[in-house]
Amino acid sequence: MAMQPAVNARVSRRRRLKDWAFWAAGGVAFILIVAPAISIIVSVVHQALPALGWSLFTQRTNGIGLQNAILGSLLLLAGVAIIAGSIGISAGVYLAEFATGRSEKVLRFFSEVLAGMPSIVIGYIAYVSLVVSFKWGYSLLAALIALSVLITPYIIKTTEVALRQLPTTLREGAAGLGMSRTSTLGRVLIPAALPAIMSGFTVALAISTGELAPLLFTAGFTDQNPNLKFFHQQVPYLTNVIYTDLSLPGKRAHATAAAAGMLSLVILIILIIIARIIAGFSRRRTARMTV
Amino acid sequence: MILAAVAALALAACGSSNKSSSSTTTATTAPSSSPTSSSTNGTVNMNIGNPSSSTTVTEAGSSLLYPYLQLLVSPLHSAYSNVTLAPAAGGSGKGISDTIAGTVNVGGSDAYLSNSEFAANPGLMNVPIAVSSQAVNYNLPGITNLKLTGNVLAEIYQGKITKWNDSAITALNPGVNLPDKTIVPVRRVDSSGDTFIFTSFLSATNATWSSGPAFGTTVTWPAVSSEVTASGNPGMVQTCHATPGCIAYIGISAESSALSAGLGEAELQNKAGNYVQPNQTTVESAVNAGATSLPSNLAAPLIYEPGAQSYPIVNFEYIIVKSSQPSSNLAMAIRTFLAFSISPTGGSAPAFLAKNQFVALPQSVVPLSESAIAKISG
Amino acid sequence: MTAVLDPHLIPLRSARRIQLSELTKRDRVVRGFLLVAAIIPTAALAFLAYQMLKSAYPAIVFNGWHFFTSKSFDLGNQYGSGVEVHDGYKAPAGAHYGILSLLFGTLVSSLIALLLAVPVSVAGAILLVEKLPRFLQSTLGVFLELLAGIPSVIYGLWGVYTLGPLFSRTVYKWIAALHIPWLRGPTGAGEGLLSASIVLAIMIIPIIASITRELVRGVPAISKEGAVALGLTPSETVRTVTLPYIRSGVIAAAILGWARALGETIAVLIISGNALGVYPKSIFDAFTTMAATIAALLDSALTDTTHMATAALAEVGLVLLAFTLITNFAGRLVARRFSDAGLPVGRGV
Repeated sequence: MAMQPAVNARVSRRRRLKDWAFWAAGGVAFILIVAPAISIIVSVVHQALPALGWSLFTQRTNGIGLQNAILGSLLLLAGVAIIAGSIGISAGVYLAEFATGRSEKVLRFFSEVLAGMPSIVIGYIAYVSLVVSFKWGYSLLAALIALSVLITPYIIKTTEVALRQLPTTLREGAAGLGMSRTSTLGRVLIPAALPAIMSGFTVALAISTGELAPLLFTAGFTDQNPNLKFFHQQVPYLTNVIYTDLSLPGKRAHATAAAAGMLSLVILIILIIIARIIAGFSRRRTARMTV
Repeated sequence: MILAAVAALALAACGSSNKSSSSTTTATTAPSSSPTSSSTNGTVNMNIGNPSSSTTVTEAGSSLLYPYLQLLVSPLHSAYSNVTLAPAAGGSGKGISDTIAGTVNVGGSDAYLSNSEFAANPGLMNVPIAVSSQAVNYNLPGITNLKLTGNVLAEIYQGKITKWNDSAITALNPGVNLPDKTIVPVRRVDSSGDTFIFTSFLSATNATWSSGPAFGTTVTWPAVSSEVTASGNPGMVQTCHATPGCIAYIGISAESSALSAGLGEAELQNKAGNYVQPNQTTVESAVNAGATSLPSNLAAPLIYEPGAQSYPIVNFEYIIVKSSQPSSNLAMAIRTFLAFSISPTGGSAPAFLAKNQFVALPQSVVPLSESAIAKISG
Repeated sequence: MTAVLDPHLIPLRSARRIQLSELTKRDRVVRGFLLVAAIIPTAALAFLAYQMLKSAYPAIVFNGWHFFTSKSFDLGNQYGSGVEVHDGYKAPAGAHYGILSLLFGTLVSSLIALLLAVPVSVAGAILLVEKLPRFLQSTLGVFLELLAGIPSVIYGLWGVYTLGPLFSRTVYKWIAALHIPWLRGPTGAGEGLLSASIVLAIMIIPIIASITRELVRGVPAISKEGAVALGLTPSETVRTVTLPYIRSGVIAAAILGWARALGETIAVLIISGNALGVYPKSIFDAFTTMAATIAALLDSALTDTTHMATAALAEVGLVLLAFTLITNFAGRLVARRFSDAGLPVGRGV
């Protein structure tokens, strides 16, 4: 809560000026944060206008639409949610609740090292090992693995922090009732930490929708709609369309690429709103739970 | 759990070969437009026709070739309903490397394969399917038909000539009012066949360039402080359009968008000393001169060819392909696609080629491509 | 959005001890599954490290220490004849790999980005929490999350088509007019070190700002009330109470932002100008970074039949990774040394 008593009349002029200057600086900083975001959104939407229409959803990229790219991005999103979500949340729970002593430190250390991997390095290694060496070719699985490796450490960290930030009274209460670890987790801790866990999870997913470097060398691209074939089947996705726009001729292609950018932003906004709704539900539940 | 399923799939699928797409039935195919086991041109039997089931041929590579291939998808599919071409861009270097790695079926490239690439990949071929060229465009409103030589271009891209009204340029263009503006050279950042042919031209006309950066799909460009980069031919057009004083090398398939963006097209000095622009006549003159002495692997530059009318930056458009394919259907589909693209009733119909300012292969080269196509088997 | 705080800063010892009673059978099974999940990142890391070293090994041998003392990066002439042989490994004629120009570009661009981003993020976050009404706060929270998720390719394209041209005609010219060494020179069309650094700063602001926001929210009310009782103005309260309290957290946040800037590939690729093998002579000149170079050269490198080019790029990747790790952990040590002001009052109760 903001703590803003009125600045007392006895406060010297100099201090009041400093106060004013401080908040002005904050205001400037604020504008510096907001202005680029608005500029980006406005310019993307403006450039996408000529291409907006139903054809974006009914035609594929071999025509003037984005149907295959949209489906591909959603497919990748779902796949990453399942893979990175299950591994990340499970690992986060383990590190927060079960790990002890040395193994805890070691596992967490390596998870953080993984978090520092640049995305292009992950993409390159996935190409060299999965696509070429294992002979999977440009494939759905290679793309999913590359993306999951990228965002799983983030999910682990946010899950762990979410659990650690829970009030100790919750655990004390459960212990007092003689609940097993699993019951405590399932009935008390995870529901209480769910807003924070979901929030971190959704942000991680949001980051994955905007990624390009890990996918460039693993997913390939195709004009056809994606299917569930895990190997030897290239996967289309929206950020690729934006990027390769530069290599495609024509004004229409440029507008379509901007539309792909706009749709990426739309998916992003939807994910953010979903996260906030979940956070809202769980917060109300927790409020009822906490003593 | 999901992890187990994923692991099982991973173990099961290592090394699976590239089968044709799964969503097909045993199709009773419509009769193809030519008999299944004879060639379209009557000289070489390439064994083309509709494969027995629906097959997709994936392609990646040259952004110069890409618009042509995109247009080819539909007529090819109409003629052979079981063949679907799926082209992508990405640069000639990508086309070559992806084909070698097997991540796409064929590659599109403005650059021929190097001797070491041939040696390291027996069975890899570069098959010419059309002839294209490259223009040098610039952003100087009001100035049309600027005359330039390869030597001057090399010096611009080395940073030795920095202003448009430099004496070297004004000497070539008497009477033209060149502004006192900084030249902004634009170059490709992706591994590009356009870079390959442009640097080949610079190497052929400037000794310092030839012994320095030389030529390739990526070269070590000399540092020029005003230089900018772009991706793909349309990227070159956009960047040059937005930068007054720029000069850029742009593939001919993007010529119309370059011209409609207000860029001028330079007249380049050819080997005979004449200044020419790229068009049907000048390109044909160059390729006919060059086609008289092609090596057996068809890896041949058409740069700076002799001939009074020859345009100096001309190249074959190659499809990079392995002669040994994993399945007979795929091999059939690839042969059919290639044959269709060089057929004068298909992809090499003059009206079709003209949409991208390409020129057909000379009559002497067609049988050579056909023999290469016939070698593809699976 | 929940702050991504360092778990080390949140003590859990007392809470954990409560539950160290025996595990039931079901607990053991659950723990088993979760343990498998927890091991996967470590296994993935081991796999990645192994693959990187395996790919880079030929280049490590071929380049030796020259990799770290040379600034030119030359893939060599793949169409020429002749192949260099050194220590038993082949490379194309004229190939020479040195990382200095890449290292310079990576460091300088990330540093400038951080210098721009941290003050803006902290000032903006403080303003957000302390001054703005509640509903605006959550709207702008969404805004920050949006900024964090914008694809980097859009950032790069916006930088090169909107920010670059605008700034090169205005702000850059003003800076150049000051005639400060290295901050003057032809301002170009917008591609270059300063433009890329600005875009990087904009990309890492959301990370630093949202963490700072959570940190500011977590400043105990007691401390702030005390400052008010002493008659401090709001800004003085911030300066004496809030800033010291959040200092180590902000450093941790800055490290996250730094790591992101180091590894950013696509945006830099589009807006940097890709000048390989040279140091930018001014802040407006073209440059390149380790990550952008890998992405830009990978396709060409794959056509190198000696495979030395891909090995060299793998070596670049290794150096990038090592760099990220070193600065990550060094920064963490710095953060820990500054965490004396972190009283856990109000936390966990």
